[in-house]
Amino acid sequence: MARSAPLPSSPSSPSSGTAPVAPAALKILIAGGFGVGKTTLVGTVSEVAPLRTEEYLTRASEGVDDLSGVDNKETTTVALDFGRITISPELVIYLFGTPGQERFWFMWNDLVNGALGGIVIADTRRLDSSFASIDFFESRGIPFVVAINCFHGENTRSVAEVRAALDLDPQVPMLVGDVRVRTFGRDLLLALVDHLMELSAA
Amino acid sequence: MRPHWSELPDEDEDDEYGAGTMVRPYTITRGRTAPEHDHLTLITLLTTVEELADPVLAARSSGLRGLQPEHRLILERCRRPAAVAEVAAGLDLPVSVTKILLGDLIAQGLLRARAPISVARASGDGGLDLGLLTAVREGLRRL
Repeated sequence: MARSAPLPSSPSSPSSGTAPVAPAALKILIAGGFGVGKTTLVGTVSEVAPLRTEEYLTRASEGVDDLSGVDNKETTTVALDFGRITISPELVIYLFGTPGQERFWFMWNDLVNGALGGIVIADTRRLDSSFASIDFFESRGIPFVVAINCFHGENTRSVAEVRAALDLDPQVPMLVGDVRVRTFGRDLLLALVDHLMELSAA
Repeated sequence: MRPHWSELPDEDEDDEYGAGTMVRPYTITRGRTAPEHDHLTLITLLTTVEELADPVLAARSSGLRGLQPEHRLILERCRRPAAVAEVAAGLDLPVSVTKILLGDLIAQGLLRARAPISVARASGDGGLDLGLLTAVREGLRRL
């Protein structure tokens, strides 16, 4: 059941004649390998408990390998979890945890089109599970920051080692913390916005 | 993890308005598999038109005749602005099915849609609007 946070706008009086103005929305994607803490991070910073929705993946007209043996529509569904942060009465940010199987993303343009930016969560014990997300954001030109999640209280590698292992562009911000902690979630989002500002100013 | 709708039991009669009534999703759309206008995104925000936001006025409105339970649920939900993804999650329907229902209501003038902020990142245009980013930053600092 969707819960909605109270918006500052007053309940509209039917006779006022002015339509309530909907806020405008932005979207931030949260990516990373399976079980790395995407939905956890959504829940950490969202003002509502993470919601889940589903979509059919339809087969693109070309370039799709390997969904063979199935007819050309509605081959599978993907679920994604999302949350919301109300910035102001005029502005709302939606956070989408991306489906684990990144190889499907290109079939879901609606998810990635128009995203403000992304956060890639990585676990130092299995960094390779986050390669696909990084590749994807790079290939689509979506700016992102990297979160090294110390979910389990262990960070076995230095920041420099992780950067090298992920082959990160030097200007991509990387933060180390626990995605269950609200201030860390906030800092990740702020780091992303700062990164976007730098890119815009460049 | 919540089971997919197709795995839920068929006899779920606790809700006459359909959220718990399992029918094939494209039955709800009367067989249509694509929306009339494909302009809705996951984060397009929807608001029920003001005349219908008031239950008393809504009950008198002739525009509501012929609507399906899902349509009415949407109008109820969108008295406060909600994104397409939120509406879909609330109805427990796939996004594509939800978009068709939303398209019906928009076409009938019962629902307003606001497109997301355009995040243009075309090459060489200098990137995003700094004013917008500043506003986002201010809001996030309060988290």
